[in-house]
Amino acid sequence: MSDTQEPADPHGGLLEHYAAAPGVFDEVEAGASRPRPHWRPLLHSFEHLGRHELSSRWESGRRILREHGVTYNIYGDPQGRDRPWDLDVVPLLITAGEWAQLESGLIQRNRLFNLILSDIYGGPQRLLRDGFLPPELLYGNPAFLRACRGIPVPSEVYVHLHACDLGRSPDGQWWVLADRTQTPGGTGYAWENRTVISRVLPEEIRNCKVQRLGGFFRQQREMLLRLAPEGREHPNVVLLTPGPHNETYFEHAYLARHLGFALVEGADLTIRDRRVFLRTIEGLQSVDVILRRVDDAFCDPLELRGDSFLGVSGLLEACRAGNVTVANALGAGLMESPAFLPFLPGLCRNLLAQELRLASLATWWCGQPEEHHYVLQHLDELIIKPAFATSPATPLPGHPPGCGQTDEERAKLSQLINASPGQFVGQERPKLSQAPAWAEGRFTARSIVVRAYVARGGERFAVLPGGLTRVSQSPEDLLVSMQSGSGSKDTWILSDGSVPPPERATEDREPLLGDRAPAGVPSRAADHLFWLGRYAERLAQLLRVLRCIFGRVSGENGVETHGDWNELAQLAAQWKLVPGAAKGTLPSSELSEHMLRLLYHQEQMGGVRDLLSRIRLIAAAVRDRFSGDMWRILGRLEMDGRARLGRLPLTSATALIHKLVLDLAAFEGMEMENMTRGFGWRFLDLGRRLERGLAVLRLVTGAAAVRARPAAVLEPVLEIADSSMTYRRRYFATPAWSAVLELLLRDQTNPRSLLFQIEALREHARIMAIELKTSGLQAEHEFVTALAQNVRSAELTELAAAVAEGKRQPLLDLLDTWNRSLLVLSDQVTSRYFNLTVPRVS
Amino acid sequence: MKRLLFEISHTSTYEYLGEVSVSHHLLRLTPRDSTRQRCLEHHLSVQPGPETMRIRSDYFGNLTHFVGVETSHKTFVITAQGRVAVNPVFIPDLLETPSWEWVRASCRDGHPEQTLEALEFTYPSPLVPAPEQFAPYTQPSFVPRRPVLEAVADLTRRIYEDFVFDPAATTVTTPVEEVLHRRRGVCQDLAHLEVACLRSHGLPARYVSGYIETEASPGQPKLRGVDASHAWVSFFCPGFGWLDVDPTNNCFPSMRHITLAWGRDYADICPIRGVLVGGETQTLRVAVDVTALGPTQAESIG
Repeated sequence: MSDTQEPADPHGGLLEHYAAAPGVFDEVEAGASRPRPHWRPLLHSFEHLGRHELSSRWESGRRILREHGVTYNIYGDPQGRDRPWDLDVVPLLITAGEWAQLESGLIQRNRLFNLILSDIYGGPQRLLRDGFLPPELLYGNPAFLRACRGIPVPSEVYVHLHACDLGRSPDGQWWVLADRTQTPGGTGYAWENRTVISRVLPEEIRNCKVQRLGGFFRQQREMLLRLAPEGREHPNVVLLTPGPHNETYFEHAYLARHLGFALVEGADLTIRDRRVFLRTIEGLQSVDVILRRVDDAFCDPLELRGDSFLGVSGLLEACRAGNVTVANALGAGLMESPAFLPFLPGLCRNLLAQELRLASLATWWCGQPEEHHYVLQHLDELIIKPAFATSPATPLPGHPPGCGQTDEERAKLSQLINASPGQFVGQERPKLSQAPAWAEGRFTARSIVVRAYVARGGERFAVLPGGLTRVSQSPEDLLVSMQSGSGSKDTWILSDGSVPPPERATEDREPLLGDRAPAGVPSRAADHLFWLGRYAERLAQLLRVLRCIFGRVSGENGVETHGDWNELAQLAAQWKLVPGAAKGTLPSSELSEHMLRLLYHQEQMGGVRDLLSRIRLIAAAVRDRFSGDMWRILGRLEMDGRARLGRLPLTSATALIHKLVLDLAAFEGMEMENMTRGFGWRFLDLGRRLERGLAVLRLVTGAAAVRARPAAVLEPVLEIADSSMTYRRRYFATPAWSAVLELLLRDQTNPRSLLFQIEALREHARIMAIELKTSGLQAEHEFVTALAQNVRSAELTELAAAVAEGKRQPLLDLLDTWNRSLLVLSDQVTSRYFNLTVPRVS
Repeated sequence: MKRLLFEISHTSTYEYLGEVSVSHHLLRLTPRDSTRQRCLEHHLSVQPGPETMRIRSDYFGNLTHFVGVETSHKTFVITAQGRVAVNPVFIPDLLETPSWEWVRASCRDGHPEQTLEALEFTYPSPLVPAPEQFAPYTQPSFVPRRPVLEAVADLTRRIYEDFVFDPAATTVTTPVEEVLHRRRGVCQDLAHLEVACLRSHGLPARYVSGYIETEASPGQPKLRGVDASHAWVSFFCPGFGWLDVDPTNNCFPSMRHITLAWGRDYADICPIRGVLVGGETQTLRVAVDVTALGPTQAESIG
């Protein structure tokens, strides 16, 4: 190989330390220092950029991902939630010619799978009767959902979106390692990967004539609209997600936003008269097509798994009646069973009269005597897997192989297989190809698996010209799995000819089929927005209280205090910021200790960290409703909130509080200036106003309950309520009860006053009563109007005078009445709009 | 022998603590036709509503109602009434039946057209997930080359003798493995147990739900509402078809068993299954009356 005519590797600098593991296919080099032709332009360009520039581009790619909030949840990992998505700067390149072959293989495979499923679920099960499929593959397979048999499937498209994990063997041949046929994930990540890489390597993408992805998604969208039951003029498509706890929730929200479908959870949907409806604030809205990311068995607690909280009760009956299309069809997960793989070539000949173009990884199903025997003889070399499992199985003894199997483990494994052979398959261990990845300033080899996608609607097919390439964690790692935390690559399918101009241009020309006004706000989303408003305001309030207290402690040991320290400690107790036992006066060190815990301690209920994590959870659940900027601000809030206690606790605490207060203010600003005044915004603001009204009542109540010189308690209260400046400007005097009550409760020009909040609530109630026309809304409007009147006509001057004479009870009673009114209002709102009790099976 | 005519009345009353705003139910309460019985008339009604009520055959051919109630309610009543004619059953001479090994082999390897339907009932199912664990208990009845019906009769007798009928011992969620371990349960548990035992030896076995007529004490008028929902087992023998066997009563069901539905286990054919929004806790009252109206004029077919 050294006597080649090829020029000596001009990229020696970068590829210098790169070498694929011996005996595997190298995606880049056809031999030492001999790059394959289709890689040369990119390598040349990398060489031109140089090590330093590449590193910085890699960094900027990671920054964009962080900004976009691209995450992936890993189960069972303490840091698992919202793990940042890992994207390598080096794409994987596949030539047009090679891709054309894969494309036709993918289409054939999808065609085949749909024919098999339509015989099994919709047809006479001829494949079973004629002996092309052993009965156990169905009857012993938990993924065969009997309830789904006979359900009509439009155009017999059982697998609308089909994903194949492809691996390349040492001889350069691509093999299907596994099929994903129920809820294939990854197209959204592939799309996002491309978005990022096209910003990091804009010229390279152009020069290499990389095929664009946008067209695929436009086609997929059109296919879904066309899959709607007949006669629906403007089909309403929703994307059904299991919710923010799902590993690929980021992608669900991303796809919903980019495909223009409402993102819904099971509890948002309801079945009436065998039709599917979305519960929105505006009422029930008919749903025609459900693009689901919920696994088969979890989709309907009435007919499938009764313990599922992710599905919709009665969904199967709605499908049976032909009133809704679910994509992929329910039951399609059957084809994910590895036990089907060895039968595909025969089925392909029988059903399509063709040879299978894309071969599967060699698989032996132990339900057949010879295969059973073969597997037992080769336990060392094979991977033993459950034949039917569709969910992660418990690890089998001594697996994965290669980690060394003891005799004992081997014996145990044989025993398991012999007890129920049909439950197991043996699979060849794939020797995956390797490609370079950028790590620590140089290229190193990583094993790769490409997930490719084909979409089908009617007789039309679309193959994503790209895919999600996943890479192993280390060069020695020959297996690739997302759950174990591997990274990803953009996948470039090179073009022979010219690449059409960007999709946006075509999108502008012809509007998408069936475009319609976006669906209403799902009730669940309104519920989340309401609580997001409440928690964001609660956090802002807490931060101001903490800032006020820290501002009155100086000296890092908390020994020196100034101002009316005792009164402050009593106020903190009144506001329930210190444990109930600590009534009397706390030493300042102890008080600041408590406050630091509220700021930093993760387990502290109602503390800053607790509120932040609630905000994060809720925001994630409605993430499709926020603009990129708003999401970035939430991301920053989260990052800032993770700060650790510094050397100088009080100084760093104050700095942290300042930062968080500003983040929250930025979010609030976006909320006011960037959100359209739809119902979504209204519920967010409703929550915020309610919380702020409750907060000001709590402040004043606490102050009135402490026996002290008025200024000693009113000064902190004014500061926390952000009203000190106004007060000073207006009164030029130390705070007095009557003026403070006026300013904080009744001054309608003060955006922090109680009346200001009530008036805002009144306006929301008025608009909603007009626009939603639901019965009972008028009553709510009247309730708030009465409350506003009550605040306006309160005898605040007399009450203040009474406090000055030591008679606090009349004021406390009045504040308590108002407080209870606000809580009643909150209950009314939650019960009217968010009545989403999770269904249960009896 | 003449056919016997039965009148059936089955009322289930659910009281919920809170309001139920929406409910969906699947009801398998309509007796299915078979060689053993014919449903002459049947009527199912629910209160309140319902907004939706559809009937269809499920995967196993059982008549299944889908019921949707959209009116807010705290009481839900299901009433099923009908008349069923039951044929006497032909029970072959135990010794005339083929060996159990032959039955197993011909189900596994026979022509799919004849045995495919039966084969489905040899595999694990949701509530009988690991039949192989029941092989040791079953084995003494299934000695080599024993006629299958004799083996099954022996197994049924042993279950009847070894297990205590004890309504307090189990709930609907008690796994069948635990029933085997604790040696007690109700008809549902014993039926699952026998299904598991038969499958452990590769024999097709299905779970049958239905009613049984109970007799009044001598000299007393028959009480009302005491007849019960019941469950038993059916197994397949090529040449003879499906034969019923009742481990709770140690008998071959004949003139007093009325079949509602069959499936792989209870999970397939639960008579009443519902998903509710709201409701919180519930109480259930059930009244079942099975009244023999006497022999019918028609000659039996069986």
